Amino acid sequence: MQNIQQYTSRIMRHIRAEWQLYLLLAPTIIWFIVFLYVPMYGLQIAFKDYSIFKGVAASPWVGLEHFYTLFESEQFMRAIKNTLILSGYNLLFGFPMPIILALGFNEFTKAFFKRTAQTVVYLPHFISTVIIAGIVMSVFSPSVGVVNLLLVQMGFDSVYFLVQPEWFRPIFIGTGIWQEAGFTSIVFLAAIAGVNPSLYESALVDGANRWQMMWRITLPSILPTIIIMLIIRIGNILEVGFELIILLYQPSTYETADVISTYVYRQGLQNAQYDLAAAAGFFNAVVAFVLVLTANTISKRVTKTSLW
Amino acid sequence: MSGVSLSKMTKRYGIVEVVRGIDLEIKPQEFVVLVGPSGCGKSTTLRMIAGLEEISDGTVKIGDRVINEVAPKDRDVAMVFQNYALYPHLSVFENIAFGLRIRKVDKKVITQSVNDVANTLGLTEYLERKPADLSGGQRQRVAMGRAIVRHPKIFLFDEPLSNLDAKLRTQMRAEIKRLHKRLKVTSIYVTHDQIEAMTLADRIVVMNDGRIEQIGTPMELFNNPVNTFVAGFIGSPPMNQLNAIVNDVDGRLVAKVGNSLITLPKIKALANSSNREVIVGIRPEHVLLQASATSSPIAIELELVETLGSEALLHTQIAKTPFVVKAETRFGDVSHLDKVTTLHIEPDLIKVFDADTGMALATAIQD
Ligand SMILES: Nc1ncnc2c1ncn2[C@@H]1O[C@H](COP(=O)(O)OP(=O)(O)OP(=O)(O)O)[C@@H](O)[C@H]1O
Ligand SMILES: [Mg+2]
Repeated sequence: MQNIQQYTSRIMRHIRAEWQLYLLLAPTIIWFIVFLYVPMYGLQIAFKDYSIFKGVAASPWVGLEHFYTLFESEQFMRAIKNTLILSGYNLLFGFPMPIILALGFNEFTKAFFKRTAQTVVYLPHFISTVIIAGIVMSVFSPSVGVVNLLLVQMGFDSVYFLVQPEWFRPIFIGTGIWQEAGFTSIVFLAAIAGVNPSLYESALVDGANRWQMMWRITLPSILPTIIIMLIIRIGNILEVGFELIILLYQPSTYETADVISTYVYRQGLQNAQYDLAAAAGFFNAVVAFVLVLTANTISKRVTKTSLW
Repeated sequence: MSGVSLSKMTKRYGIVEVVRGIDLEIKPQEFVVLVGPSGCGKSTTLRMIAGLEEISDGTVKIGDRVINEVAPKDRDVAMVFQNYALYPHLSVFENIAFGLRIRKVDKKVITQSVNDVANTLGLTEYLERKPADLSGGQRQRVAMGRAIVRHPKIFLFDEPLSNLDAKLRTQMRAEIKRLHKRLKVTSIYVTHDQIEAMTLADRIVVMNDGRIEQIGTPMELFNNPVNTFVAGFIGSPPMNQLNAIVNDVDGRLVAKVGNSLITLPKIKALANSSNREVIVGIRPEHVLLQASATSSPIAIELELVETLGSEALLHTQIAKTPFVVKAETRFGDVSHLDKVTTLHIEPDLIKVFDADTGMALATAIQD
């Protein structure tokens, strides 16, 4: 008892002494509480037979029933599969791209070219996803889309890209890369800028060419950053670009395009099955949490780099 | 072994000239130290020799070959950087081996050479460690090892010891000296620590504002600085400089400093120079506390006595100008120094400089 008192009084003293820092921290903490922790109260409906009229507290418990329903549902299993496949491709093609871009930018010696090229690849990031989706739709449109016009010019038949399930994945992954790779490369460029320039000079005197410097100095030096980014990426592996999918998919492409988040959206908001949607969302969160923990632990063991 | 020869070597950034046409001949196996105040262009000079900076004008030769346009890797030089420039992700072994690996040297030869170098530098037990797990001195040694292992024609050092504490610096200084004695590789060493310059150099090059002020052996620079800049730079503490007016007192040339008259050495350039303004240079260690047959007395105001052990520094003022004296203590006892009011100065140990140009008027001591 006395220990606890001592402990609290020590914390209070600390807060009084460093109150400016806590004040700066306050908005973030409040944001987290209001938007992330308070809503967690509602998570319990994943284990309840939720009725809007009875409210969260009064709805009866049903245990894991919703989870059984989910895992017996073909649609949900398909959503899990699609989520994993899209994320997998995204990781495979989307993750290395910004690194390659950053390494490429670093090789530009003329500041003007470097700046221009960077601006060009950053731009899509600042365009809203709705507009991105609009651009994609018009580019791949069967009648007026640039792609189909080119195909027809070259003597092929025009393809109805956006209604064919087999085209959804490449288009989605490609759009994602186009939209974000440039902007994400900033992180790696910053890491490259932090490399001690005398390492390069020393390597130059030692006889290394640019290629060798890239492989033997730049890449190893930014490896910690790459790993941190990879951990974050793996943690988010179940969060594929929800908005872009909602905007691009159609019932005919659900087969490859429907992912957990879009499934949750349809069940929860369109079909008003809030409890089932909450269960799906909860499952998603738990898996994501386990993934982050695992990635972080592995990275800590293997490379001594970790988020915490 | 090759020498290095710089001729009218110039570096311009835009319109700013930071190295203003340097001429310097470095003999094979020589250890040359570039000293000068911060920003005087020492690093730039070194980096031009290494090929890390373009040469704006003039030529650099290594041996008989003009290397202005030669890529750094083909100049056969090795450089040790102030911050060591060790690769943090590589072990000590791989750091030393880096240059050889780049050059695709045979694996067995690499292992052999790295082990030899590690042995020379006492790094054998650290070969598997990463630079982050080494002390400052050990890192410094790895940086040296990386240079040595390639057997270059020229070693370039840019303030390699300035990140070390005083004790380690002294120790590493001796080690560098020993290494040079053994390997006899032509070395150019940049520092702004004049003690390093004095102890390491075969010849010292004193630079100021992109120019060479004087080139000479450490003792030449100590005994015969060509101008007040070199006089104020070499020696620790540096030479005292007093403004004075030359007077002719009964055919004897004296310098009038405040109310004191100091007998000057017999210098031709001073003949018939009554009333000429000069700067009188007196080294702190050349001041006497007791009068000798030829010395002239000078009144001082004692401000502070600093004890260094067997020696003490007397901080005094002569005619409102600071004047430092190095004197011996009596086994650490300085009570006799606290009472000093008059110093005695031997004419032959005085340097005289022109007040306008700062150039030495002649050399009084020949050696
Ligand atoms: N890239 C550059 N652009 C413009 N000026 C430069 C550049 N690099 C160096 N300088 C200038 O050149 C001058 C000489 O620099 P340098 O690094 O050779 O000095 P230094 O003698 O090595 O000094 P220190 O003892 O501080 O290392 C400095 O005045 C510096 O400001
Ligand atoms: Mg420098």
